[in-house]
Amino acid sequence: MTPFVAGLLHPLVVPAHLLAIAALALLIGQQGWRRSVPIAYVVAVLIGLGAIALAYVPKFTEETLLALAAIGGLLVALARPLPQGLGMPLAAAIGLSLALDSPPEALVLMQANLTLLGTALGAALLLLALLQGTTRLRHHWQRIGARIFGSWIAASAILVLALRFVR
Amino acid sequence: MRWRWWRLGCGGAFLGPPAIFTLPVVFPLVMALGGVLGILGVPLPGVEIGIAVSAAVLGMMVALAARPPIWIAAVIVGAFAICHGHAHGTELPPGSDAVAYSAGFVIATGVLHLCGIAFGLLSRWPTGRITVRAAGGGIALAGLLFLGRLL
Repeated sequence: MTPFVAGLLHPLVVPAHLLAIAALALLIGQQGWRRSVPIAYVVAVLIGLGAIALAYVPKFTEETLLALAAIGGLLVALARPLPQGLGMPLAAAIGLSLALDSPPEALVLMQANLTLLGTALGAALLLLALLQGTTRLRHHWQRIGARIFGSWIAASAILVLALRFVR
Repeated sequence: MRWRWWRLGCGGAFLGPPAIFTLPVVFPLVMALGGVLGILGVPLPGVEIGIAVSAAVLGMMVALAARPPIWIAAVIVGAFAICHGHAHGTELPPGSDAVAYSAGFVIATGVLHLCGIAFGLLSRWPTGRITVRAAGGGIALAGLLFLGRLL
């Protein structure tokens, strides 16, 4: 697998990333937030990956991402109207944590940069792809299904977080 | 233990809206809370008894076609979810993958809810209603047998 493809698939194969992106997509679709929320997410992903390229590697990024996924899932499950002003920082926090939790394994600089580029594209495309579905949930049963899915996401993230802190 | 989750979905379907929607949203969250207590080693006395009682009570609710107010159903299901989650959190095998275990745990619960709801939806038809109530009676009986072994 080439470094670019590895980076592209990264958000798809890391469960914590997938949970966080799915929670965000469900929340955006449920709340009917405008483009500025996904844009905040993409900009935050780019900033985070830029920080990684500058060799900034923070700790507890996966735990932060899981906590954000749990918050997103809970908000979806509650299904209360939320201001867009809350969506933007939440999306930015998810994007930033996701990017900072994606340091490339490649040792060669060119390959590492290609991996980061793939991760940026993969993270953005995955959210956009999920939004194609979540923004079309109009029927009552579909919206209930989204709430149940949000509840599952929150439950999974909470359990994984608990296991991480115990071990 | 898994069949009790199926019974929960079945019960939710029998209660009709909004329980059919509310219970599958409430249950995973409260179950996760119980799971966290189990993982952290917080003791919860009478977990196995709580699980057996949950089977008996919810089974009887289905068998008797009881329709309690939604908040009562949510409180009952929430209390039982804590017991279920705690049991699984305590029984987590050492060395197992945290993400895979948690995801499998939650997904299995959700899929069993869906199966239970699908079966419970048979209650829209007269024959199906009898079938679902009979299944509820069977579950209540199994729960009582389980309870009898524990006491």
